[in-house]
Amino acid sequence: MEAVTRKYKAKDYKSELKPIWCPGCGDYTVLNALTRALAELGLAPEQVAVVSGIGCSSRIPAYTSVYGFHGVHGRALPVATGLKLARPDLTVLVTGGDGDGFSIGGNHFLHACRRNVDLTYIVMDNQVYGMTKGQASPTTAPDWEGSKLTPEGTGINPFQPLVVGLASGANFVARVSSSDPVNMAQIIVEAIRHPGFSLVQVLSPCVTFRPEQAEWRDIVRTAVVDYTDDAARAARRLMTDDGFNVGKVLYKGERPPFRPEFEKTNGSIAELEARFLL
Amino acid sequence: MTVQSVSLVIAGSGGAGVVTAGSLLLDAAANAGWYALMSRSSGPQIRGGEAAAMLRFATEPIMSHDDSFHLLMAIDWENISRFSAEIPLVEASLIVGDPAHGDAPAALLSGKPRQAALPMSEIAGRIENGRPNMVALGAIAALIGLPPEAMQAVVEKNLRRKGQAAIDASMTAFHAGVAAAADLPAIAKLPAVAAASGPRWSITGNEATGLGVIRGGVRFVAAYPITPATEVLEWLAPSLAKVGGVLVQAEDELASINQIIGASYGGVPAMTATSGPGLSLMIESLGLAVAAEVPVVVVDVMRVGPSTGIATKSEQSDLNIAVYGLHGDAPHIVVAPNSVADCLFTTQWAVHLAEAMQTPTLVLSDQAMGQARAIIPRPAELAFIGQRITATAAVEGERYQRYAVTASGVSPMAIPGTAGLTHTADGLEHNEFGTPSSQASDHHTQMDKRSRKLTQFNYGDHWADIEDAEVGAGDTAIITWGSSTGPAREALRRFSDAGGKARLISVRLIAPVQPEKMAAALKGITRAVVVEQSHSGQFHRMLRAFYDLPRETCSLHQAGPLAFGPGRILEQLNTWRA
Amino acid sequence: MSGKPQDGGAIRTLPELLAHALAMENEAAERYGELADQMETHHKTAVAAIFRRLEKAEKAHLGELDEMCRKVQLPHYAPWDFKWSGSESPEAIAIGRVNYQLSVREAILLAFEHERKAADFYAEIANTAEAADVKELARQFADEEHEHMGWLETYLAECGPDDSRVLEDPDPPLGQE
Repeated sequence: MEAVTRKYKAKDYKSELKPIWCPGCGDYTVLNALTRALAELGLAPEQVAVVSGIGCSSRIPAYTSVYGFHGVHGRALPVATGLKLARPDLTVLVTGGDGDGFSIGGNHFLHACRRNVDLTYIVMDNQVYGMTKGQASPTTAPDWEGSKLTPEGTGINPFQPLVVGLASGANFVARVSSSDPVNMAQIIVEAIRHPGFSLVQVLSPCVTFRPEQAEWRDIVRTAVVDYTDDAARAARRLMTDDGFNVGKVLYKGERPPFRPEFEKTNGSIAELEARFLL
Repeated sequence: MTVQSVSLVIAGSGGAGVVTAGSLLLDAAANAGWYALMSRSSGPQIRGGEAAAMLRFATEPIMSHDDSFHLLMAIDWENISRFSAEIPLVEASLIVGDPAHGDAPAALLSGKPRQAALPMSEIAGRIENGRPNMVALGAIAALIGLPPEAMQAVVEKNLRRKGQAAIDASMTAFHAGVAAAADLPAIAKLPAVAAASGPRWSITGNEATGLGVIRGGVRFVAAYPITPATEVLEWLAPSLAKVGGVLVQAEDELASINQIIGASYGGVPAMTATSGPGLSLMIESLGLAVAAEVPVVVVDVMRVGPSTGIATKSEQSDLNIAVYGLHGDAPHIVVAPNSVADCLFTTQWAVHLAEAMQTPTLVLSDQAMGQARAIIPRPAELAFIGQRITATAAVEGERYQRYAVTASGVSPMAIPGTAGLTHTADGLEHNEFGTPSSQASDHHTQMDKRSRKLTQFNYGDHWADIEDAEVGAGDTAIITWGSSTGPAREALRRFSDAGGKARLISVRLIAPVQPEKMAAALKGITRAVVVEQSHSGQFHRMLRAFYDLPRETCSLHQAGPLAFGPGRILEQLNTWRA
Repeated sequence: MSGKPQDGGAIRTLPELLAHALAMENEAAERYGELADQMETHHKTAVAAIFRRLEKAEKAHLGELDEMCRKVQLPHYAPWDFKWSGSESPEAIAIGRVNYQLSVREAILLAFEHERKAADFYAEIANTAEAADVKELARQFADEEHEHMGWLETYLAECGPDDSRVLEDPDPPLGQE
């Protein structure tokens, strides 16, 4: 315990805008945890940017008082990549859902993990498309029959974001539950502090289209094992668990982040032009 | 022909060194004080395919390729028929082939060109490490009047690393070619030039585009490789590093466009380069840049479409997607360079426009300019540097309005890191603060504002190049854009040299349209020919939609990869004159 | 989820108590406010009104507390370092426990549950702390929470039996972006 007060309170990171999420939605908790984490880190709001794509969870930037960018569906990671590479001084966070990140934005997810830019990616996974009235998402179980689009279930294997993230090179992997905003805040603090691409999967129930997910708060359990720096071990652990071990960092890698330098000018435009001169 | 010039093609396949020979010849011509233009055509193979280097030399700046070639130097005939449509030959033309490879294919002979033999491989075989392409170069030099010492300097420079033996072998083969040319029929010769009229550059359109990007102030580039735009990126990667910029290779074009949007939102002017297929993927995010008001520059080096089309060859057929491709009403800027040299000016201008109006700007270059190398007079310094209007400090008691409604439509942009001005930039329709809104009034207000930015901007005279045979005289105009401008310029020159009076209007600012300026440019014009390289006449249709054209307007349009030569345009002008 | 000592048991000094009280009352006020906003956004005005009343009550309480804290140098606690047994502060209703069709009655019961937790938290400190000033203040805080519970009981009594019945929403959810 330090005898210093923090300069900012969690609510200093919230905007005046009232969220339009359904009451009980897990995303409220993520907003809560995110703002607590930023307060704990003491980051000036203008030094932070939250980037998102499209979906319920992608609404987060407008609900914060930091710089925000609300782009198109699936492209939050490249926007954040460009922003962070151009402005390494900023703390850049990416928020979104499972559809935005793993379906339409799937390729960017793989390459963001590979590229390992110093970003923190918080994915609110509710295994459903909420904004379009409840269709199956890439993380939906194959036998979920709740959507008119796939009345007999998708019949296809759910995407394993954390395992795929590990295999692709994510430098920090954690899973948390929206039932515990304080733990989530703690993990987000760690994720932001850890250099490189940090992936935080949040089990964030959709109370409207997946009401059965309300049970998640009772199913989730704190993972018993602490994090490893061995991606293979972390992957094995993930491949064998049921998806409800939460609350701890699973993997922390040591790979240096991708950060091309905007070097101090060691040339000039005149020099470039001189090469064309006959 | 009014322009004193020599046009020739060097063709050959797998390892014949055609492209290298063309480059050496271009550099040698530059040493001789000439101006030059070289484009190339090649087969689909990555290596060893058939290739042709098309060159034109003159003692003054060159605007386009000629209608036909004086000389076809064929190191072999492999698949050369594939290029026959791109190598127009007439009775005055000369085909020189190597008898070791048999006779010229019939496809090349429809224009009844003269033919002659040069045993390039046999001559080269007699020289240790001699190569047929150097023999060919020697013969070409002798035929067109290029001084051998001009080549000597180029070979020495290019082969310095390979050592003196390599230089000697090349020059021996070259001189053997010079000697052998004594037995060949004559073609047009260019006079030697004592000293060039002024400083000259050797540059490709893609390099000029890259330089325009840097001159304009861009310091972040993200891109995905694609023919024929890749050279823009290959030039930019090391060049940006020299001036404190960065190029990132993205995972796809969706990523490139969004990375540059992110970087530009962060306050660093940003661009990407692509071709048609990549532009198609970027379209949704271009709309995002319009709505979120983030300046970005996207260069489309056009190739033959649709789909993968013909990746290595040119067409002006992305005009429609560039102008109309975005969903919703999405005011953005489309500009087009009209020569290799203009790739520099127009791209630099594009950065300036994008930054000034905080909107995406598309630059429609094409393969014909992008991959062409030209010897050009040194381009002028330009004042255009991207200048973004930013908000730098919070106003006491006022909440920052990212999308404030202003008279100019441009709202001062707060760059992340600026205290007190945090906001969310949004692709959702929003109010002045950036807060998402589905209200009609907000949509209308923001639409008006985004549109006003473009309509109220002063584009000056750069919207088009307007060239008169005699200022104010004549009632005939050529209206064109992009790389079709070169042959149109030359047609105008020939027409005026023959006493005709006409006006060239080459539209650089494709969108937003400039009806008042066009009306002024068309003053006194009663007849016009619209020239473009597209199957459906996209440019002509666009002109008809937005401009009052002369009653008698005809459209000269054809699909790529064939370009109109100056002669075909001149023919149209002469029809009216008769 | 995190293993914490018994509620409030580890709080020994006045600054520690004040830091906890301040955090808890702040969170409670903010949470009630947020829940009121959520319900207002979804036009659940009756439930929203309950949460709004509670927010006001907490804010009033907070005003007095702020005054007290001004004279004391408070230790800083990260959110996960507070000495309550749950993860969030005892008074804050977990966001996941409300829903779109929450009835007034349910809202009151939920608030009551958390006010009681807050009261218990303070009571525990009052019972276990050694310092007289800590004991006294904790007792005072506990009493205030009991006061809130009293109001809630009154509200509950005002609730007719109909308040517990949640009508079906005849309108289906709408598609957005």
